[in-house]
Amino acid sequence: MSWSINIVCSHRRPIRWGTKILLVFAFVALGLAQDANLHAPEAPVAGSPAAIGTEGSGSATLYLVGPSSAVKHDIELGKSVSLSAQELQSAGRYVATICSSKCNSVTFFVAPAKPANVTFLVHPSRAPVAPNDAVSGVALAFDEFHNLVLTPIAVQFQLTAKGSALMSRNAETRDGIAWFRTSSGRSAGPLQVTAFLSGDVIARRIVQQVASDPCSLRIKGQKTAKGIVVETEPVRDCSGNPVPDGTVVTFTAKSGNQTSSVDAPVKQDVARATILAKGPVVISAASGVAMGNEVRIGGGN
Amino acid sequence: MFQTAQTELVLIPSAIRRRTVGLAALALLMFSGLSVFAADSAPQVTLSVAKVGPREVEPLTQRSVVRDYKFAWTNLDLALQSNSTGLMNGLFVGPASAWLSDEVKGQKQNGISSRYSNQIHKLDAVFYAPEGDVIELHDTAEYDLEILDGSKAIHAEHAVVHYIVLMTPGADRWVIRQLQSVPQF
Amino acid sequence: MKRALPIIAIIVVGTVVLMILGLTTGRSSGTVGIAAGSALPGFSQNASTPEQALNNFLLDMRRRNWGRAFASIERTSDTLNEQTFVQEWSGSNGGLRSFSNLEGFETRPLHATDSDAQMRVHLHWTTPVGPVQDVRDFHMVRRGDSWKVVWDENPKPNVPAQIVPVNYLRWDLVTGNSNDEWGSRNVDAPHVRIVSMNAIDSAEGAIVMGEVVNEDTIPAFVNVNAILLDGSGGTIDEESSFDKILHVLLPKQVTPYRIDFPRVSLSKVKNVRMDVKATLVPASSDPVIGVMNQKIDTDAQGHPSLHGELFNQSGETVNIPHVIASFYDNNGKVVWVSDGYVEKALLPQSTEAFALEIPQSLAGKVQNFHVVVNQYSLQPS
Repeated sequence: MSWSINIVCSHRRPIRWGTKILLVFAFVALGLAQDANLHAPEAPVAGSPAAIGTEGSGSATLYLVGPSSAVKHDIELGKSVSLSAQELQSAGRYVATICSSKCNSVTFFVAPAKPANVTFLVHPSRAPVAPNDAVSGVALAFDEFHNLVLTPIAVQFQLTAKGSALMSRNAETRDGIAWFRTSSGRSAGPLQVTAFLSGDVIARRIVQQVASDPCSLRIKGQKTAKGIVVETEPVRDCSGNPVPDGTVVTFTAKSGNQTSSVDAPVKQDVARATILAKGPVVISAASGVAMGNEVRIGGGN
Repeated sequence: MFQTAQTELVLIPSAIRRRTVGLAALALLMFSGLSVFAADSAPQVTLSVAKVGPREVEPLTQRSVVRDYKFAWTNLDLALQSNSTGLMNGLFVGPASAWLSDEVKGQKQNGISSRYSNQIHKLDAVFYAPEGDVIELHDTAEYDLEILDGSKAIHAEHAVVHYIVLMTPGADRWVIRQLQSVPQF
Repeated sequence: MKRALPIIAIIVVGTVVLMILGLTTGRSSGTVGIAAGSALPGFSQNASTPEQALNNFLLDMRRRNWGRAFASIERTSDTLNEQTFVQEWSGSNGGLRSFSNLEGFETRPLHATDSDAQMRVHLHWTTPVGPVQDVRDFHMVRRGDSWKVVWDENPKPNVPAQIVPVNYLRWDLVTGNSNDEWGSRNVDAPHVRIVSMNAIDSAEGAIVMGEVVNEDTIPAFVNVNAILLDGSGGTIDEESSFDKILHVLLPKQVTPYRIDFPRVSLSKVKNVRMDVKATLVPASSDPVIGVMNQKIDTDAQGHPSLHGELFNQSGETVNIPHVIASFYDNNGKVVWVSDGYVEKALLPQSTEAFALEIPQSLAGKVQNFHVVVNQYSLQPS
C-alpha cells in the first residue's frame, strides 16, 4: 500500500477530500451558469434587424448559428450587438454564443414575416369534365424569405371558366396550409383556378378540362377507288363535348377469315381510315370503352 | 490567546485517494457543461399518421418517408460537421436546400462546425395533399447539439426542438423542401 | 542479330506464301452455304447443278457483285433492270434491309427435275435490330449447260404523284426552366394503365405479357418493367419491355407488351411486380398505318403465323415498320405477344407484307388478335 500526502488546517479539523472537491466544482458551476451575460432579442421577425444585449466588460467573440447562417463577430461586452436583417432572414431557432474567458449561449426563435407569396399546387393539369372532386388545390403561405407563415391566414379559392365563376370558397390556413377539392365543369376548355391570400397575394393556375371517354360511336363507310373509306360521326363524350383531336379510334373490318384494322386518330372531331378488303366486309369501331355500330359493305373488288 | 494555523502532514491510503479523485473527476465533468457524448448512432425516427388528412398515408409511403427523413438528417449532420454540401445527396430541395447550403457556407467561412448527435425524431403527419404531392410533418426532435470553433467547443446542449417539415416526392425518394423550427406546434 | 536475320526472313517469306495460297486455293471453313473446291472460296465455276448455281448467285449477292448476279438470273419481267434488281435485294428508302448484311445461308432442294428445280434457302441477315432469319424459295431453270435463278419479283407499281395534306394533330412539349417556382409547372404525367398481365414459361425462360392503355388525352412515352419475386420477397430478376411495346401511345391507344426473363423458370416465382412508366413526349398522329388482310395461316415451313399487309395511309415514308401483335384466347386473355420488323420501307400510299410467327404450342388457343405498328422514320414527323 502506498501513501500520499495532503495538507490540512491546524485545528485538527481535517477538511476531507470530498468536501474540497465539492467546493471546487461549485465554483466552476457557478461560473458557467451565468446566462445573465447575454440577452436574447425581443420577438425578432424574419428580415428585420434585432439586437442581443450583453453584460460584462472587455472584448469577446459572438457566434450566431441559425437555420441558414453561421456568423462570427468580435464585440465589446456591455454593449448591445446588432444583428442585421440578412442574418435573421430565416425563421427558426438561433443559438447565440459569446466567448471570452468562457462561453455563454442563449437561444431564441425568429418568427416569419407577413405573407408575401403563395405556393399553389393544383391537380390535375388535365381533368375530364363532370366527375365529382376532380380538381383539388393546396395553398401554402410564405413570406418573402421563403419562411412558412404559420399564423392562420384567410384564403379564398376561385374557379372560373369562360369568364364565369364556377366556385368560390373561403378557407383558413392551418400550419401554413389551406386546401380545397371540387368538381370540374361540364364544358371542355381551360379552367382558371385562383388562390387569393389576405392582401394582394395571388396565385393562378390553369386546369385543362377535357372531354371524358367517347360516349357513342357511329360510323359510316363507302367504297371508293382507293378502298373502303370509313369514318365516324363527330365523336363526343356523354356531356356533348367533342373528344380531343388525336384520340385513337380503332376500325376493324372482317371479311371471311381475314381481319383488317386501322388505329386512326380523331381529326376535327372525326376519325377516318381507308381499308383495303375484298369481298363483303363488316366494319366496326371502338375507342376507349365505347363501341360503335357495325357497317356492312357489299362484295366486289 | 489565538490559535495559529499550522500545517500538518497527514498520510492517506492511496486506495481511498483514487476513489475520491475518480468521484471528483466525474462531478467536475458533470458541472463543466462539457457533455460526454455516447458514440454516435443513426437517427431514430418514428412516424404517426393518426391525425393526417385529407389523404391517408399509404404504408409504403410511410416507410419511404421515415427512411428518407432519417437519411436526410444523417446527411445534415455530416454536412454541418464537415462543412460540405456534397453530402446532402439530393435529399433537400428548395428553401431547405438553400438554407442548409448557406449555413454550411457560413460555417466554413468562419471556421465553425456543428454536430447533431443522438438524434431522436418523433414525426406526426398532419397534412397529406389529396394528390399526394406534399406532406407536412411535425417533428419533435431531440438531439445533442455541439457547436465548435475549430476544435474548441463553444456550445453544447441537449435540445428538444420542434420542426415544421414539408416533404415532396422526388424521382425515387421523398425530399425535404422546408425544415423550419418553431417554439411550439 | 546475324543469326536472327535469316530466321526473320524465313518467317516473312513463309507468311507471304501462305497468304497467297490461302487466297487462291483451299476451302473457307466455318461459313455455311459456301461450297468447297472453287477458284474463289465457295464459288463454282461451272454451275452444273441447281445447288451450285444458287450458291454462286447468293455468294455474288453477299459480296455485292451485282453485275454478275444480275447476269446470272432469268427475268420474268422486261421492266426489271439492274438498278431495280439491286434495290429489291439490298433495300432502299432507308428500309431495314438497306442497313443489313447477308451473313450466311443454307440451301435445301425441295424438288428437282432435269430442267426445273425449287430450292429453299434460309438466309441469315445481320441488321441494326439484331439477327434476322428469312426463308425464301427460289425457282431454278436449266438453260443449256447451266442453271439459272428465275427472278420473278415484279417491281411495285409507282404510286402516282399526288399531294397528301398532313393536318393531323402534333403535340409539342414546353418544359419551362429550372427557376420556375414550386407548383407552377403544373403538367401531370400521362395516365396510363396496365389492363392485363399474363406470365408463362417458355423454352427460353419466363415471359410476362399483357396490354397497356393510355387513358389520357395527350401522347405518352410508355415503358413497362416487371420484377419477379421469390417466396421471401427477394428479387429474382428485373426486366423491361424494351422494344416489344409501342412506346409512343396516342390518347386511348392500346399496346401489347412483352417482357422476357431468359433462363428463369416460373416455378421459382411467387409474385410479379409490374411498373409502368409514362412520360410526356412530343408526338404526331401521322403516319396512320393500317393493317390489312390479317390471317393466321401456316408458312412455307408449316409453322403457324399471322400474315398481313401494312398499308401506309399517309404521305410520309415509314423507313422501318415494326409490327407487334397480341393474341387472345376465347376468354380474351393475352396468351402470346409476337413482334417483327419489316425489312422494306413502307412508302406513302403503299403496302408491304409482314408475317409473325406463333409458337406451335399456343396456336390452338388463339381465337383473336390485335396488331399495332411501331414506326421509325429517318426524318422527324
